[in-house]
Amino acid sequence: MTIRSFASGVAGCLFASLVWGAAAAPHQINGHPDLNGVWENGGGIDFVKPVAGSKGSVCVTGCAAPGQKPAPRAVVIPDRPVYKPQFLARVQELAAKQVQFDPVLRCRPPGVPRIGPPDKIVQTAREVIFLYEDVSGPFFRVVPLDAKAKRNDDSESYQGEALGHWEADTLVVETRNFNDETWLTDDGAIHSTQLRVTERLRRSGDTIDYRAVVEDPVMLAQPWVMRPRTLTRTEVEFGEPAPCIEQDMQHMVDDSHHTNPR
Amino acid sequence: MNAKRNGLVALALVLAVIGLPAAAHHSVAGVFDVSRTLKLTGTVSRVDWVNPHTSVYLDVKESGGAVTTWRLECLPVAMMRKGGLSKQQLLGDGQTVTVAAHPARNGTPALGYLLDMSFGDGRHLQFSPDPNDKSAANQ
Repeated sequence: MTIRSFASGVAGCLFASLVWGAAAAPHQINGHPDLNGVWENGGGIDFVKPVAGSKGSVCVTGCAAPGQKPAPRAVVIPDRPVYKPQFLARVQELAAKQVQFDPVLRCRPPGVPRIGPPDKIVQTAREVIFLYEDVSGPFFRVVPLDAKAKRNDDSESYQGEALGHWEADTLVVETRNFNDETWLTDDGAIHSTQLRVTERLRRSGDTIDYRAVVEDPVMLAQPWVMRPRTLTRTEVEFGEPAPCIEQDMQHMVDDSHHTNPR
Repeated sequence: MNAKRNGLVALALVLAVIGLPAAAHHSVAGVFDVSRTLKLTGTVSRVDWVNPHTSVYLDVKESGGAVTTWRLECLPVAMMRKGGLSKQQLLGDGQTVTVAAHPARNGTPALGYLLDMSFGDGRHLQFSPDPNDKSAANQ
């Protein structure tokens, strides 16, 4: 490397920093941003604001100081895909009867992008591995970075077949070959096997900006752009995820369910 | 309103938490009678540290001496972790514990939804506010 090219590189990096206004991200020896680590992503339970008390006491939800009412939960405005007219009635029916039909309530895989951003990322030069602890169980996705990579089993699957590449400092993960047994959101958002999901992960300092665009030319009227998420790096180790063991369905009395955050 | 809960100090826990799964699930009211709250006293014999709900098993000695084991469903693992709680902390080392819980709507005996636990050593864990505790500050 010449002094001129080095200076040019430094200037380029400085310019990029100014343009993006973001903290620098650590890079791997191959020049790509280092996404390795455990990442807190909020995951739909941002409303949980624990409060510590004396003698090891803890209030997990609905906490309030003596004489005070707990702060109301922030209203989550859900972002939802737009369906072609012929699928609206079915989606609305499933949303109303989520308790009867939602695969996640029966510990089945949530699929992509319903599972959300990864909780841990393991990155090598050849592949990136996403690890998740979901309420419906532990999951992982292997994202090859080599366009020649091809899964041995090309059957349609819950998490689909992912392939990643770098666009400058952004990891782009394109996934297809999904089965049609998952929902896009908690509200009955079904999809076809033509589902395609493109996720973009860009690290700045100790955060990752995560975005996903969902396309389904069979069912959706337009691509669905998910609400962006910000992942924050944490030093807490990703422990053994808890299994999902459903014990409630036999005791359900009616179809009441939460306002759904994802 | 019990003194232990009153004693809670509103200090935000500085807890680093790992990524959290989405919390979508059925409503508590779909399974449990939220208009009723039971008070039970016993010892914790087992904790299921599983999703979508953890379960605390409480051995309650009846007046005749027989022991009934209640399965008390509680928050998902992610919420427990966010509260800095572990399976071991819920077990409580065999201490006597008094709990508040909603009973099952369909009449299933010894099944409930756990709202809070007060251990013999003064430790109080609140998982959810009790809508039937009219004296509570959080009503």
